[in-house]
Amino acid sequence: MTKCGVSVLTTGDEDEVSSCYEEHEWGKNRVKGREKEREKKKRGNARKKGASRAGRGDEELEERAERGEKGRRRRKRDNHDGKGRERDEEEQAEEKSGRAAKNKKNLKNERTRKMEQEERDTEEGDAKRKKKNESAKREEKKEDGGKRAVKEKANAVKTKKHKKKVETSEEEDVEEEEEEEKEKELRPESLSPEELEKLKEAVDEKKKLIQTLRGKPWPMKKKLSTLRESQEFLEKYEGALGKGKGRRLYAYKVMMTKKWMKFQRDFENFKTACIPWEMKIKEIESHFGSSVASYFIFLRWMYGINMILFGLTFGLVMVPEALMGRPYGSMPRKTVPRADEASAMDFAVLWDFGGYAQYSVLFYGYYNNQRAIGWLKFRMPLSYFLVGVGTVAYSYMVVIRTMARNANESGGGDDNSFNFSWKMFTSWDYLIGNPETADNKFASITTSFKEAILEEQESRKDDNIHLTRFLRVLANFLVMCCLAGSGYLIYFVVRRSQKFALDGLDNHSWWERNEVNMVMSLLGMFCPMLFDVISTLENYHPRIALQWQLGRIFALFLGNLYTFIIALMDEINLKRKEEEIVKFNMTVWEASLYNGTVPENSTAPPVTIHPADVPRGPCWETMVGQEFVRLIISDTMTTYITLLIGDFLRAVLVRFLNYCWCWDLEAGFPSYSEFDVSGNVLGLIFNQGMIWMGAFYAPCLPALNVLRLHVSMYLQCWAVMCCNVPQERVFKASGSNNFYMAMLLVILFLSTLPAIYTIVTIPPSFDCGPFSGKSRMFDVIQETLESDFPAWFSKVFSYASNPGLVLPFLLLMVLAIYYLQSTSKSFKEANVELKKKLQMQNEENKKKSKRAALKAAMDLEEARKAMTQNGRNATPLLTDQEGQLPATRAPVPRTYHHGNHGAPGYLPGIPRQTEARVHRAPSLQRH
Amino acid sequence: MVSPAIALAFLPLVVTLIIRYRYYFVLFYRAFLVRVWQDCATGLSREERAFQYVLTNATPGDPDSILEAFDQWCSKVEFISNIGPKKGKILDRLLMEQSPMTVLELGAHCGYSAVRMARCLPLGARLYSVEMDQRNATIAEKVIRLAGFDDDTVELIVSPSDEVIPRLRSDYGLETVDFVFMDHWKKCYLPDLQLLEGSGLLGKGSMILADNVLFPGAPNFLRYVRKSGLYEWRIHQATLEYIRGIRDGMAELVYQGIK
Repeated sequence: MTKCGVSVLTTGDEDEVSSCYEEHEWGKNRVKGREKEREKKKRGNARKKGASRAGRGDEELEERAERGEKGRRRRKRDNHDGKGRERDEEEQAEEKSGRAAKNKKNLKNERTRKMEQEERDTEEGDAKRKKKNESAKREEKKEDGGKRAVKEKANAVKTKKHKKKVETSEEEDVEEEEEEEKEKELRPESLSPEELEKLKEAVDEKKKLIQTLRGKPWPMKKKLSTLRESQEFLEKYEGALGKGKGRRLYAYKVMMTKKWMKFQRDFENFKTACIPWEMKIKEIESHFGSSVASYFIFLRWMYGINMILFGLTFGLVMVPEALMGRPYGSMPRKTVPRADEASAMDFAVLWDFGGYAQYSVLFYGYYNNQRAIGWLKFRMPLSYFLVGVGTVAYSYMVVIRTMARNANESGGGDDNSFNFSWKMFTSWDYLIGNPETADNKFASITTSFKEAILEEQESRKDDNIHLTRFLRVLANFLVMCCLAGSGYLIYFVVRRSQKFALDGLDNHSWWERNEVNMVMSLLGMFCPMLFDVISTLENYHPRIALQWQLGRIFALFLGNLYTFIIALMDEINLKRKEEEIVKFNMTVWEASLYNGTVPENSTAPPVTIHPADVPRGPCWETMVGQEFVRLIISDTMTTYITLLIGDFLRAVLVRFLNYCWCWDLEAGFPSYSEFDVSGNVLGLIFNQGMIWMGAFYAPCLPALNVLRLHVSMYLQCWAVMCCNVPQERVFKASGSNNFYMAMLLVILFLSTLPAIYTIVTIPPSFDCGPFSGKSRMFDVIQETLESDFPAWFSKVFSYASNPGLVLPFLLLMVLAIYYLQSTSKSFKEANVELKKKLQMQNEENKKKSKRAALKAAMDLEEARKAMTQNGRNATPLLTDQEGQLPATRAPVPRTYHHGNHGAPGYLPGIPRQTEARVHRAPSLQRH
Repeated sequence: MVSPAIALAFLPLVVTLIIRYRYYFVLFYRAFLVRVWQDCATGLSREERAFQYVLTNATPGDPDSILEAFDQWCSKVEFISNIGPKKGKILDRLLMEQSPMTVLELGAHCGYSAVRMARCLPLGARLYSVEMDQRNATIAEKVIRLAGFDDDTVELIVSPSDEVIPRLRSDYGLETVDFVFMDHWKKCYLPDLQLLEGSGLLGKGSMILADNVLFPGAPNFLRYVRKSGLYEWRIHQATLEYIRGIRDGMAELVYQGIK
């Protein structure tokens, strides 16, 4: 204490400077500091006391420091708040010198108790807060005394540090000047090594606390306040820890690490901001739960893949051909035929991708079979082929890689056992941020509980199993009928359209010409609704029902798609027959041309015929490409129109007709639509399948798809937020991502199958496309090998492609796959074993703790008995103790060791009243 | 000319709509078509036909048998939107728990709910039943008397609800209303509730039970209740009376007063 007194006189100004230094260094903190401090003041010391495990002493250090600041400002601001506490503080200041000797003694006790208190701190927090607010209790005062001593010490440490900082600080702050006198409470002195050590420990402890804070069983408020305090403490004292010359460097280092961390955090934020549509998706997620969001994430992922496909086809096929290939009109395949020239620029024709659109880089037929084009000697046919193969290969790679990654993430618990525990602890979707969705989720959880209980009951009864089975079979039969019907309808329509095509399309109306696409889209839209209605018959669990639903829609779409492909195959065969005829006619026409125009001398220059006049083959590849593009366009249109009519218009009607309608439209019959996750996902997947199928014959398809996905991202985001309501059955989509991926993989396989089939088996058209003149499309590889690579390379290649080498290689791969699978299986088994073991251990532990608890209860009982016996003796002793040893007593005795000293009312078994009675009885006797 | 194939593609949609909303079609048939047909055929109103059936099939003086006869008629013969047995059970339970001394019923229709409530009331309690339509009121009167409730237990007031509520205090000497059951025009739920609030008839703990808040539905009423903060409220999920598959609910409000 005396030391402090001296230091005030000597280092008053230094102190002020040092606080300036603080202001300077931790400027950012201090900007808000005023407000924060005021707040803290309001809350009083109590909060700090209950703060943490970090050690009483350290806390006091900090507290003291803060108090110093508060004291400084106390007179400056005349606040109403915290008056009582202020008075208390003043009292303390007066008492300090007087009590110094006593306090020092107490300090020791305080320290010894520190360890114990750390354990109890958490519980003590509340109690103390209350106590503080109550008028002075005896215990508290005693404790204050003890604390004060530590505070003094802390104060010393702090001021000491200030002194050191003075050397480093150059600036002065005017604001702090007026607080000069108020600094008197702080008594700076030299920092001894052991104190420094203590500070270091405190800092380390704070650090540890911050790290482990997340796992503490405290209320969030307390955690936050503790975190903030600890961080402030660290910021204040970390810089001062270095010794001598190293200190500045250390402070600098600390500062730099902080800056670096901040930069890293900012960079992370920046990276998140760079993810496209992230905020939109998050918003949707908060409103509609993760299942709807998973669709949008899937959409975004799809968009990314299509971007790459688009980059490949655009950069390596379309742009080189447009820039370096022969220009439009130079060849028959690059010119609109004379018959179509008049209508080639009509919108209706262009909308059908005929006319100028057909004779452009958008389609297969436009490309020339010239081996190398432009000054770059770009190998166009080879590039075309490799890009076609590469897009598919890339898609396979990405899908499989994503699946593998997802598989690692998922695959936790089994759904069958601990059904109720899973429901109890894991059914909430924490990403929901919308009260309505939360209500729905709440309702769905309760219903799921009800259903689970019912299921459990039913699984014991299962009297109606035959009816359920019958209904399920019936439902499947109905669905089959529906599928067959839709398949037949499409087949019928395709046949009809072939008839129309033979008649000539111009004789028929727009409806008839677009019949196939319309019917396919409509069936794809309405049949799922019917399936949904039928599936209510089956009485499945929602998740299983969803899978069935997905499977059925999948079958429907697949059927439609393959009907379409079969029809296309028929058409390809027709075109090829036509081509044969054209080829034959061509030779006749050429012969007649030369015979007719060059009668006498053959040395004359050959007649130039305008390329538009040259007869040409039907070019089935372009036809296939056109079909796919039309399909995609009509599909997109249907999607958007359904969105606008089914969702938007309905929402508008429901919203505004509700004012003048006889029943509640919003809650009742039409209501708002829900977002149909399964339908949308499948639509997306099949759309992608069509892209994969058609991209080889129409290089523009990825570009179109990118456009479509981009628009639908915005449109659907808007539609979802504006006219859909959250699903009644909000379910989590954590496991469904891989399900989508699996479907995507299947579709990818099924869509590459026909594409590869056509490439391998059907010879290319003779007068259009990059492979014209070759017997098969993949001949381009051989040609390149022969002419562009050295001879040895082609030799090696031919050896490598020898079945004798390929077959063993395949065998090896199969063996490797088998080996990997078997190892993974064994790992899985080991996992299950471990899980079982863990469970056993848990049970064992449970038993053990139960036993321990029993034993503790028995001990307690004994203690209680002993105490009731000793009651008379113990109570007077207790009062004595409290009077004499104020500092040694913990303010709130918790453990039952204290029970032996006779702490009243804190034994769980004994009610307070009995204790009071015991207490009173002797006193009555005495009087 | 639209081709038949395209028209055929709409078939699944039609089937879906029919299956999904089959209950509404059934309701439309039973509540409207049958009623119009019977009105023309018999020359009696629907309520009169119901009363005839009850008169012939129920034991006079036994409320339960009268209710049963009503349920029988409504579910087997024709449709009247009484509260029905399932929702009635909820009503019974609430009345038993609350045991109110003064009950106000808005919309007596043909007396089904009045009988239902009167038999659950404690001794000395009084039920004021408000009905707007004169013809319905006479039938309700007959039904109530048939069930054996006299004028002291059930008082029928023939007047529109928005006229009755302001006069309740002056003309009928009511201080507070412990229980209000609303089953009249859904549009009137909100104004009547506001009238009740304004007249000061609701004391703390007064319960208001509103039927059919989901179908046909009283959205404004629900919105107001949600916002006002004067009530503790919950919705009892149920189905529409006598028709399975149409969801409906009863809103239970407990007046908390202005805090």
